[in-house]
Amino acid sequence: MTIREGNPESSNPLGIDGIEFVEFATSQPQALGNLLQMMGFVPVARHRSREVTLYRQGGMNLIVNAHPNALPGMASPDAVPALSAMALRVRDSAYAWQHAIDMGAWEQTPRVSAMELNIPGIHGVGDTLIYFVDRYRDFSIYDVDFVPIPGAERHPPALAGLHYFGLVQSVSADRSDDWIDFYRRLFGFSVLPEGQYFGVLPKGTLLESPCHSFYLQLIEPPPGADDIVWEESLVRIGLGTPDVLAAVRALQSRGVAFIDHKSVQPTDKGALTQVYLGGVTFELVVSHLQPPTLAAPAGAAREQRP
Amino acid sequence: MNIDDFGVDTITFAGSLEAKLAAMRGAGFTQVMLSARDLAGHPEGPAAAIAAVKASGLRVTGLQVLRDFEGLSGHLHAYKVDMAKAMLDMCRASGSKLLLVCSSTSAHASGELDDRVRDLQKLATLAIPYGIRIAYEALSWGKFVNQYTQAWEVVDRADVANLGLAVDSFHILATGSALDELEFVSPDKIFFVQLSDFMWRDTPSPQDRIDTARHFRVFPGEGVHSEKLVELVRLLDHMGYAGDYSFEVFNDDYVQLPQAAVAERARRSVRWLSQRVSRHSLPLKRRGH
Repeated sequence: MTIREGNPESSNPLGIDGIEFVEFATSQPQALGNLLQMMGFVPVARHRSREVTLYRQGGMNLIVNAHPNALPGMASPDAVPALSAMALRVRDSAYAWQHAIDMGAWEQTPRVSAMELNIPGIHGVGDTLIYFVDRYRDFSIYDVDFVPIPGAERHPPALAGLHYFGLVQSVSADRSDDWIDFYRRLFGFSVLPEGQYFGVLPKGTLLESPCHSFYLQLIEPPPGADDIVWEESLVRIGLGTPDVLAAVRALQSRGVAFIDHKSVQPTDKGALTQVYLGGVTFELVVSHLQPPTLAAPAGAAREQRP
Repeated sequence: MNIDDFGVDTITFAGSLEAKLAAMRGAGFTQVMLSARDLAGHPEGPAAAIAAVKASGLRVTGLQVLRDFEGLSGHLHAYKVDMAKAMLDMCRASGSKLLLVCSSTSAHASGELDDRVRDLQKLATLAIPYGIRIAYEALSWGKFVNQYTQAWEVVDRADVANLGLAVDSFHILATGSALDELEFVSPDKIFFVQLSDFMWRDTPSPQDRIDTARHFRVFPGEGVHSEKLVELVRLLDHMGYAGDYSFEVFNDDYVQLPQAAVAERARRSVRWLSQRVSRHSLPLKRRGH
């Protein structure tokens, strides 16, 4: 990474400061939970009233929302778990939401969201939502809706330095420019120069967050793939790690299998897990980004008191 | 050029949506430019209208029309954003990948270019998640934007991928705009072309243009501006425009003729244009199709 200078305010009007959480919707919370635990996530809290679980490792929060209406089609017992939301840390969530609406975002339609706390959100790609969270420094949004799981470590360390590196989004043919405009205009993302890629899947368009701490990768259908059903959605989480091969070994020892054939195999640049539960994969990417600070260090300190 | 390059606007015909669709199909057309009224005004409701469109097998060229959108402020702006969102929902429901927006005639609209740019950027952004493109057209009686060059200035300044220009031959002929400026427009930013002519030489006042536009349009080849109309289509083709053409012919006589007779006139117009413009490069793939 290059060190950037200049006034961060001018290119980051919302004060975006990383990903607060990523949400999966699923009708198979147990199976997805098992997969997440293989990936190093630990269930740390459950929602007070809904079938929603908070997983965590290092600075990453991941919510598993098992409400049947969490996403359209998710009521079916064999529905493939799907990424349903990302939450951005921002300086002022009300301001960020209003700014996005003024610029042409759609406010989220009411649905059963993971939180009862009013977290402002807008429509993202497909049926996904983008939330704005400003309480992440000295107060945790999870304290309101979630009850800690007895005996669980509330702030489990990250395996092999894993942290959120970004999200991969599928886009329809010739639609990358539209989505670049969407993320550029609403949030201040910028396009990385062509040819600058991370990981083992060098394709699509990479957008860098205005806080320079995570990426969105836009992938169009491959040429000649007219017969493939290619819907626009969030398709994969990218996890950064300073040492990909060490992370691969650590995850393999926990039972995670990685794709290993000619075109895609684990290297020191990146790796891709096999497809689980009909459609869930994780991508590892070499990254020396500092994992964000933990959500509630004050809370963690309190826990240590007798 | 061949008939697959052309569609017809439903407003060209009398009668029910089903009768219009059947007439277009019967004449060999493969696409239809819908009016939002086709959906809202269907006696059995919008869902039945959409079902009829799908059953017709005709591809939806686009949906018209969002009016008086840009340049408003306060509650008027908020109201128009609501209307725009509802029309985007209609596009989505009907399978339309294009929403036609014509330049504002509102006395309440701001004359500032920056305000127009900002509002159309917002509209285009609203359309992105749905995969819909916004085609902005200069109405020849628009308050501040009444020439295609002015509409292009807004589109160019806005610089949003899914916002482009709609070229309408009627308005160009009505204002007598020169075509040479069109060459400065990037062809991939022309999203849509509407074609029609009319039967007298000049429309000097805005009211003349309104009256002519709403009652006396004719198909290309039937009016008195054939030479310029052909020049326009040749120029678009030469520039590399590879999108759709649609006949938008508001005509009081045509809406009291059988639909098949009007569709036959449309088909004759395709032949007339094809004989004068041979599309030199048919693209392998068109965006949004």
